[in-house]
Amino acid sequence: MKHHLLLLGLLLLPMSVLAGDPGQTLIAADLKQEPFADAKTVSSLPAGSVLDVVKRQGGWMQVKAADGSEGWLKMTSIKLGTGTAAKGESGLGSLLNVARSGRSGNTGVTVATGVRGLSAEELKNAKPAPDAVKKLDGFPSGKREAESFASGAKLQSQKVEYLGMSQAATNNSSTFGGGR
Amino acid sequence: MKRWMIMLVLFAASGSSQAFELSINKLVDAIGKVKDLKTVDDKGEAEIGQGVAANLLGAAPLVQDDKLQAYVSRLGWWLAMQTERPDLPWRFGVLDSENVNAFAAPGGYVFITKGLLLRMRNEAELAGVLAHEMAHVLQRHHLNAIQKNARTGLMADLASIAVGSSEHAALAEKAIGAGTELYARGLDKDDEFEADRMGVVIAARAGYDPYGLPAVLQTLEAANAQDSHLALMFKTHPAPQKRLELLDGLMTGTMDPYAGQPILADRFMKVVGDYAKKWRAGTLTTKSPQLRAFSYWSAGLKPRCA
Repeated sequence: MKHHLLLLGLLLLPMSVLAGDPGQTLIAADLKQEPFADAKTVSSLPAGSVLDVVKRQGGWMQVKAADGSEGWLKMTSIKLGTGTAAKGESGLGSLLNVARSGRSGNTGVTVATGVRGLSAEELKNAKPAPDAVKKLDGFPSGKREAESFASGAKLQSQKVEYLGMSQAATNNSSTFGGGR
Repeated sequence: MKRWMIMLVLFAASGSSQAFELSINKLVDAIGKVKDLKTVDDKGEAEIGQGVAANLLGAAPLVQDDKLQAYVSRLGWWLAMQTERPDLPWRFGVLDSENVNAFAAPGGYVFITKGLLLRMRNEAELAGVLAHEMAHVLQRHHLNAIQKNARTGLMADLASIAVGSSEHAALAEKAIGAGTELYARGLDKDDEFEADRMGVVIAARAGYDPYGLPAVLQTLEAANAQDSHLALMFKTHPAPQKRLELLDGLMTGTMDPYAGQPILADRFMKVVGDYAKKWRAGTLTTKSPQLRAFSYWSAGLKPRCA
């Protein structure tokens, strides 16, 4: 029971983004003093350097390296979680762990839901549920709901062009064309 | 109409001969060159989408939590308003499945599993994933994939067949089957990359930090690939790290002005965190195995609070 209360207390703490999550460098990378490519290099980290991620800002992550040095790395050069993180996605998936803690694990859940599920096989054998589709119609929808949702958090819409649509499409199909 | 009939007859006559399938492919290609395959109109798109959504919801029910569903639906509509198809009858739902995945169906259906939602940290991440799925709808990726397939290419004229006629019903059913099958097979990699590129922009337009989607990809990259909950998502999508790198290349420089936009962790944690707690509380009142798992977990957590 005490555990229970402790947990609830933890949940009420604002969960800061990634505070102290473990990670490691995917590639050799320069630790930057600030989140910019041309910022001063603090130190050079070899691939596989273990580090703690403090926070993310745009495409950059503030990290603490094992040697104590601190700075910024591109998020693409970091793999979150390390061999030491036996709890899987512990820090990241806190909500998941919260929810799962009441479950008996993978097998229990699968058994409980019986024939339903989202594996390829289960999708193939699914019986249509048109009533559930109708239920979607009852959820808040439309522009007015959307606008009040946005203004409630002071979200402001911006004009932004789609990114390199035609050019990128061409590049991708030559590199990762697959089935095309 | 006539072309369709002829093809159907030919197809039926051919049995399952591979050579004939090839010639059907060629025929469809040839027609496509002369005249673009007619795309399904909005009505047909809605009908196919509804059927596919019904199948998906047959595989995984909706989470029964009005607050959670309302939250995702409102967010989805705010994103929809930033797109070129703001007037579609968009529908958003959270699926009660621990699988880690998200789905779109033609006509404006977008779904995210509880398993993926609970791996997120803030609203910008959720926005990024919903926007990625919406891009599949905007670009009609599923419809195109259905039509690209030679067998289902027979449905190119779906729109021109009178609603209510027997041909229409049979074709719609076939399209719905093919559309559902796509969830197990996946779309083209290029479609996924395109949805990533569009998703980050839609999130930025909606006022969010556009790096929410890359952050989710990074989470997925870190996830255990052996976890069965991730199997289908990994099978049907390009590797998260590849997607992340492609996005990063395009976003560096172009998306920097929006990187400081809100991530809204507090609002997300309030709604989704409340749901996570409720779910646990509900399951905790049941049997002992859950309690065992529960205390195991809290023991594991101790070092983190110290």
